[in-house]
Amino acid sequence: MSPAPFDVARGSAFRPSDRTALAYVSRDGALALYNDYATHRSTLVHEPVLRGEDLEVRARWRGAAPGPRTVSVGGRVQGYGVFTFPYGPVAMGTAEAGAFDLVTYGERILELVPTVGYKDRGIEQAVVGRTVEDAALWVERRAGVFALAHVSAFLAAAEAAAGRSVPERELWRRALAQELQRIQAHLRLLARVADGASQNVGAAQVHALEEELLRAISRCFGHRWGFGALLPAHPSDRLDRNGRTELADRLGRISRGFNGLWETFLTSRTFIDRIQGTGTVPAAESVRWAAVGPTLRASSIAWDDRLRQPSVPYTDLFVPLATEANGDALARVLVRQEEIRASFLMLEQMLERWEGVGAGEVIPSPGIAPSRGIARVEAPNGDLVYDVTIADGRVASLQSRSPSEANWPVMALSLRGAVFTDFVFSLESFGSSFAETDG
Amino acid sequence: MIDPGSVVFLAAVAALFAAAPVAFVRRRAGYTLSLAGSLLVVTAATWALAVGPFTVVSWTGVLGSDVSLRLDALSAFFVLVAGIVWTATSFYSIGYDDEPSAGLAVSYALTLGSIAILITATDWLLFLAAWEAMTLAAYWMILEALGRPSRVYSAAFVFLAFGEASTLLVAVMIAATYSTTGTFAMTAITVAGPLASVIFVAAVVGFGLKMGVAPFHMSEWLPIAHSSAPSNASAVLSSTLTLAGVYGLFRVVTLLPTGPSWWGALLLVIGAVSALLGAIFASVSEHAKGLPAYSTIENNGLILVALGIALVARAQGLPTLATFALYAALFQAFAHAVTKAALFLFAGDVERTMRTYDLTRVRGGLKDADQLASGASVVAALSLAAAPPLAGFVSEWMILESLFQSYQFGQPTLEFIGLLSGAIVALAAGLVLVAMLKFIGFTALWKPTHSAGAVPARGLAAPIAALAGVVVALGVLAPWVLVFVTPTASQLLGTTAIAPIGGLLAIPTGWSIISTTPALSMFGILSPPAISIALAVGALPAIAYYAAGRRRALRRADAWSGGRAPPRTSETYTSFGYSTGMRIMLHSILGTREIRRSAGPLGTISEIRSPETYDVELEVLDVFKSFYDVLVRLVGGTAVALQRAIMPGRVGRYLAYILSMTLIVIVYVAIAFGPR
Amino acid sequence: MTSWIRHSAARGILTSRYPDRAATDEELPEAGRTPTAHPEELARLSDGERSLCPTGAIREQAVDQGRCIRCERCFAFGLRPLGSPAMNVGTREELRESAGLADRRPTSVAPFGTSLHVFMIDVGSCHACNAEVLALGTPYYDLNRLGLFFTNSPRHADVLVVVGVPTPEMVEPLRRTYEAMPGPKAVLAVGACAIDRGIFADGPRTGSSVGEIVPVDLYVAGCPPPPVAILEGVLALAGRGATPEERR
Repeated sequence: MSPAPFDVARGSAFRPSDRTALAYVSRDGALALYNDYATHRSTLVHEPVLRGEDLEVRARWRGAAPGPRTVSVGGRVQGYGVFTFPYGPVAMGTAEAGAFDLVTYGERILELVPTVGYKDRGIEQAVVGRTVEDAALWVERRAGVFALAHVSAFLAAAEAAAGRSVPERELWRRALAQELQRIQAHLRLLARVADGASQNVGAAQVHALEEELLRAISRCFGHRWGFGALLPAHPSDRLDRNGRTELADRLGRISRGFNGLWETFLTSRTFIDRIQGTGTVPAAESVRWAAVGPTLRASSIAWDDRLRQPSVPYTDLFVPLATEANGDALARVLVRQEEIRASFLMLEQMLERWEGVGAGEVIPSPGIAPSRGIARVEAPNGDLVYDVTIADGRVASLQSRSPSEANWPVMALSLRGAVFTDFVFSLESFGSSFAETDG
Repeated sequence: MIDPGSVVFLAAVAALFAAAPVAFVRRRAGYTLSLAGSLLVVTAATWALAVGPFTVVSWTGVLGSDVSLRLDALSAFFVLVAGIVWTATSFYSIGYDDEPSAGLAVSYALTLGSIAILITATDWLLFLAAWEAMTLAAYWMILEALGRPSRVYSAAFVFLAFGEASTLLVAVMIAATYSTTGTFAMTAITVAGPLASVIFVAAVVGFGLKMGVAPFHMSEWLPIAHSSAPSNASAVLSSTLTLAGVYGLFRVVTLLPTGPSWWGALLLVIGAVSALLGAIFASVSEHAKGLPAYSTIENNGLILVALGIALVARAQGLPTLATFALYAALFQAFAHAVTKAALFLFAGDVERTMRTYDLTRVRGGLKDADQLASGASVVAALSLAAAPPLAGFVSEWMILESLFQSYQFGQPTLEFIGLLSGAIVALAAGLVLVAMLKFIGFTALWKPTHSAGAVPARGLAAPIAALAGVVVALGVLAPWVLVFVTPTASQLLGTTAIAPIGGLLAIPTGWSIISTTPALSMFGILSPPAISIALAVGALPAIAYYAAGRRRALRRADAWSGGRAPPRTSETYTSFGYSTGMRIMLHSILGTREIRRSAGPLGTISEIRSPETYDVELEVLDVFKSFYDVLVRLVGGTAVALQRAIMPGRVGRYLAYILSMTLIVIVYVAIAFGPR
Repeated sequence: MTSWIRHSAARGILTSRYPDRAATDEELPEAGRTPTAHPEELARLSDGERSLCPTGAIREQAVDQGRCIRCERCFAFGLRPLGSPAMNVGTREELRESAGLADRRPTSVAPFGTSLHVFMIDVGSCHACNAEVLALGTPYYDLNRLGLFFTNSPRHADVLVVVGVPTPEMVEPLRRTYEAMPGPKAVLAVGACAIDRGIFADGPRTGSSVGEIVPVDLYVAGCPPPPVAILEGVLALAGRGATPEERR
């Protein structure tokens, strides 16, 4: 049985400190998860007493009301010559349906107000009453580029809710798939940041690596974005001996290519200058606004679900943890590139030990309530929480908190006082996805 | 024999002054009289330039010398320029003036009359009297804006203070002149050496104060005083009151002997710095009259640059360059006065239509409300931005052409100053483009989103359009204008000037402006008429296409706004936003700083967190204003200290002060005037 | 600088030879292909098997390519992936009949020249389609070599590429974007969501499909379609699409 990943507390017995951040709160407010960055422990609180700051954080996450909402963090600014520069929801720059209001008096961004929810497809309501397998088809189409993390988290939560054991090998498959997609997502982000800095050759090269990785994923799991790869009924993958050798070869080439490219990026003064000191988020703000993932780690908070909330197989693997101190776009980019290396390392470990993975079953840690399970996964953008209730083999309720959703407030903060041209670096270095946010 | 021109000019002056009492009774009649006077002024000046100088009237002055009004070539030129401007402003005023009292009309008439006397006086005392009359009348005119919500009292006071400082320095200059010539008549000053320099510097500072050039520009009195005055007054002040300053300086230069080179170098430096500062402040101004007022500083700076080149060239024995630069200066003065009047009149139209001078609140609006005036203002603004083939383009080309030739100066220091001034002037020219595009962009060109309620002012467009027509004509016919003002140039040079006119290849002789050097028969050439013809021919296909396109079916779509509804007013660029980049880039010159209120100071991103409203303001400082603020505080402090020291309320000390001062005066008089 | 040149030289030419050569297996993975079966095989399927399809794409005579999300459940009862990129591209009817452009010579839908500017709009996608569309700009596909370009404003666009299933909030923006484009213009709906709402067909907030909001000229099937299929779609709009002989 997996160890319980978090402590449990009830109501006011739990006292958060200023190193504690809200990680999840259920829609009815009856359940909350807190991360403590001092002790590196997570606490599940029943009937939590939310502080004012937590309420503010929660107000910026997805609520019950569907459709667009603004993620404002500061005051409303007014003054002589101040106007709003509307951007999106239709723009090639974001490449997604999401909008920003840049409040400015020209040149400088006084306030940035993201509007999310334009593409709220109502997935969480829609899956109620469907079988887990049908629901998974919806879940993986919530954010296609992070599909594997979402499906993993959803399935894990559903398994915890149902108390259903999972073959150990299946968990290894999930981890392998997730690490592949993490590298792909990070490469994509680096390419887009480089593109923003007009590093066209470098961006093209990284995009080429990303395409090679997509082809490797496709070769291995039958789909470029891994749709269906982890579903219980998926026919097959190519992880036999030959398939693993081929995957290892491809990964080796991509890894070597990336290392060489990254050296060149670091020697490009223009690239570093554009992102250094741009879009800074201090550690205190990261904790305050409950940022997650590489964004959090870029402001020196050492939290990674793979280490702090470990599940099989991460419990058996060496998981390098990357942190940076400055909290700027450069720090976020550095964390991501460290994680690319770390993921390559983990993939190598997994492929080496694949033969030795036991044929046994892993019983998930007990759900938080009868038929209700919570699962946390370190998605490419950070901590992803799924809270699933299963009744009669069908999904009775699905709630989640995605990492993109959690990072908009700090993204908005990071651009206050910046100039227009910093926008692209901040936007791309956080890498928040509107699709993942909107659900 | 009485010259027919003198009759015309006498009638003109009579009409200009008679307009004052008439305006007191019937305002429109007053303005109409001013209009008639202005037209007569133009006629007389044209006569004088075409036929020859004449004395209008002369009499024996209080000090026994002959005093007269005379239209020599120099006076005629300036009177001509002023007359053209006044014709437009007077016509404009008939429809514009809706002040509660007749004061504006009366002071307006007095200002015009004083300037006419000032420019034609042959006697320094009469000149000074007219100068002072002009200052007071203008002060009154500014006071007339009282009914409006503005800081007009302090603005008017600033104007008066600097006006009086100017008068004082002009008086010093006249006194110095008197000490060497022994007469108040405007006769040639033959003295050389330090006294000539004293006269020159006093003239530069005194007249410079009126022209508003740096560092006397104060950046205060011109913009504030002019922009709080009613628009017709602003046009008169900015175009012709500063022109009076230019005239004074030119007059002194004609009277003084060839001075040392540093005279010209001084003008070059002052002019270049003025041009740059004027351009910078114009580009960050948000006031529909403040912006053109700052542009006046820039243009007067350019006049000084051209005059400076001429003076250096004269001192260094380069008559060809001196001639060319003088023509440049004259043309620049002409072009600026006419163009700037058009812009100020248009600003008045903007205010009448949109009820504000604030560009950030105007946000276009005139495009639909008053198409003729908008089009005219575009022509005027493009001229100031030096777009071919307009007047400003020709003058700017001539000035830069003169600056290019500063390599002939023969002294490294002078050449360096010429080079540096050239670079600064070029930079200023670029910034003016920004300012002018901002001005017309946010008044005349931009299709506004909120002008539904705008009420177009009626009858204001015609004079603006007429001035724009003059601007075009000046530009297109520039070579002939130069030939026409040759008598003025001759008088300034003291020898017969030959207009820098020629031809090239297919362009007939007389159609081109040519600059030459002793070494090169053609250093640079510009043919405004040829350019105009080329532009017109080039535009024909476009016009034809446009005319044809009108008949084709057009599908109109909303402005693209990222898939959202068309932008609301609050979602469109403000004119402030347009030049914020400039504010940030030039923060060391502008002293830009951001102020946030009602949420505490904000330096880092974390300090404002609560969702309350806060105010932000990007403040721009004027270094010169700070300088004068310090000066005022120093003087004020000294005065208070003196008052406390001398008049503490104790009779004893007060008596001692009176006694000691009396003693000092007696001793001084005894030494100065006693028997030698 | 020189090291960038070195990197590029070391990688050599990566760009696809498509459409001059047939798409390779790498460029057209199984999941990008079209699951098909003979009509008689389909007719043999039981209702239970048919209902296993989450989008109801399996019809009596053919598999509706437009609806299919390539979940591969039907592979269990004998449907097989096959086809060329051109099979993913067609009108709604063609895709419904499992045909696509592969069976006919495409004709240009608008009086376009050979060079097109493409604007992409996302009306509610999972971002996978966006990524595949944008992948056309990367070295492996490089649409610029074919005279095709992405543009940042619909004002400059000839082709509107729509991805995603329209949410209520994106209906009006989609309409405005179409309005903002100058004529002649064409719309390419990319991916199952944009064709007929894909998996979201019975979702609570996804009631309308793209074709009901703006006129769609051509559809690219897939979930998401591979980049070569999207390329095929754009080329087809310019009248440069594949013929059956050329691309099979």
